[in-house]
Amino acid sequence: MNTTSQHNTEPQTRQSTEALIAAGRRKGPAPKLGLPWGKYFHYLYSSFSYIFLLSPMIVVIGASLHGGEYYTAIKFPPDEPSFQWYSKIPKGQIEALGLSFLLAFGTAIGACIIGIPAALGIVRGKLPGRTLISTIFRAPLQIPAIVTGIAFLQLFYLIGDATGLYIQGTFWGLYLGHVFVATPYVVGTVTAILQRFDTRLEEAAFSLGANRWSTFRRVTLPVIKPGVYAGALYAFMVSFGDVPISIFLTAPGFVTYPIELFYGLENDFDPSILASASLVIFFCLIALLAMQKIVGLDTLLRSGSR
Amino acid sequence: MSHRKKVNMNTRWELVLLPSLIFVVVLIAGSQYVFLEGSFYKDLGLGRVGTDIDVSNYVRFFTDSFYLNTLWITVKTAALATFFTLILGFPVAYLIARMRSRWSMLLLAGIVVATFVTIVIKVFGLMIIFSADGLINKFLMGVGIVDTPYTIIGNQTGVVVGLMHYTLGFGVLLLYSVIQTIPRSFEEAAQIHGASRWRMHYRVLLPLSIPGITIGSLMIFNMSMGAFTSAALLGGGRVFTLPVLIQRTVMMEVKYSMAGTLSAVLLVTVLLINLLAIILIRRFRAARLVIA
Repeated sequence: MNTTSQHNTEPQTRQSTEALIAAGRRKGPAPKLGLPWGKYFHYLYSSFSYIFLLSPMIVVIGASLHGGEYYTAIKFPPDEPSFQWYSKIPKGQIEALGLSFLLAFGTAIGACIIGIPAALGIVRGKLPGRTLISTIFRAPLQIPAIVTGIAFLQLFYLIGDATGLYIQGTFWGLYLGHVFVATPYVVGTVTAILQRFDTRLEEAAFSLGANRWSTFRRVTLPVIKPGVYAGALYAFMVSFGDVPISIFLTAPGFVTYPIELFYGLENDFDPSILASASLVIFFCLIALLAMQKIVGLDTLLRSGSR
Repeated sequence: MSHRKKVNMNTRWELVLLPSLIFVVVLIAGSQYVFLEGSFYKDLGLGRVGTDIDVSNYVRFFTDSFYLNTLWITVKTAALATFFTLILGFPVAYLIARMRSRWSMLLLAGIVVATFVTIVIKVFGLMIIFSADGLINKFLMGVGIVDTPYTIIGNQTGVVVGLMHYTLGFGVLLLYSVIQTIPRSFEEAAQIHGASRWRMHYRVLLPLSIPGITIGSLMIFNMSMGAFTSAALLGGGRVFTLPVLIQRTVMMEVKYSMAGTLSAVLLVTVLLINLLAIILIRRFRAARLVIA
């Protein structure tokens, strides 16, 4: 509906705008550069940025299709395309991918459990130091990630020394670190949605006899849903791609996929890494498309990028 | 009747927030305290630390030219990466934000995917592109610009390029949301009054987006200062930034106190630069208000 009406009015406005520009030209000083050239330069420039940004991923996918021997495997463009490396992904990488998925999924849920009430409190609560509190919730993003990693490692040592319960190198230690850095994304996206939310909807539900919990579940939750999905996706992706925190909190034999890849690149690596990396790129693409279908990309960005 | 119910609706939202706040505060305070305190002890080797408080780690940091140089390289590469991210990112963000066709969604999707894919994979791709028989070197040597293969592994250019791959997607998304807050009609008005495209960008769009750009570039700078992966892999053991050095100090030298000191210096540098920037922005805004 909206788009069609926009399209209907579009040509008219543009025509009249152009007429006005033409009128302005006759009176005012002549512009130094014609419009189309600036436009073409802009397109050219932007496509350079795109090539810069996307080429590494395209190259990884391309090189994964190479059909040659081990020592010549890293080749782009690939020689004789084949999927041979996809069937040769070793167990270590698959286990690492499994751990990463589990961890990222859990992190998304954990970040929502902590982030949603925080956002509700920040927007609706009668708080004395609202700015300070929202700064505290944003703080994990301001602390350099590597510092968070080493700080958590040392915190876990300290807790271990005090209680005998060492959680570094275990799932829960890693999980705690990931939830810590992922929570600000959920707080950010849900806060953005809540700020535009009309509380009269809830009051209406409440005065019609719904209790607090069902008001929240049937009215508030559906409204903030796009923010929750967007925040959860950010949390998932932050956890799924993290290196600086995981590198301190994983242990030999217990690594996430990015860490497995990191050590692979630092030392000798198996070309099957190309295959698993390509699969991860495709997974990110699919996750994004799913998000576009569910809440729309615009919601994701409008609420998420700060 | 309904009025009384409405009064009852006053949920104590601040209490809802409390558990989350405690969780975050405890983790921040706990972790930050532990490593900051740890940085004031001496390393005794093999991961053991002394019991007497001293500042020898800090003295060593500020007297050793290697450490000072590392700090300088960290700030320099982060600043360069931020600058080039803005230069490459702004036109793209503007293009997408002002596009009226369905293509804008596709272009956005490209940026978001590039943001979501882990930096390790992107660095891997960069290594292939810049390898001795990779695309870039085949081209450069074919044309005859260079005789020996050019590499970005183990030099600062490589680190900056790696950092940009870490920040560019995110930067475009940030700038995109900044540009979206500027009404399109402002630009149309400028054009109606006869301003050329360049003049409109320079005199209307840029001044309006400067507050957003400043905040955005601070965020990008912070990301770059803490970026470990791209600097570690593309530095190739020859270029050290503070994050890389912190990881090596823990994993290879097992010196927790020195690593704590390095982390403290990194953290304080980031905070100071942010504080300085915010003060400058305030000054700048206040000055402009006086003029207006």
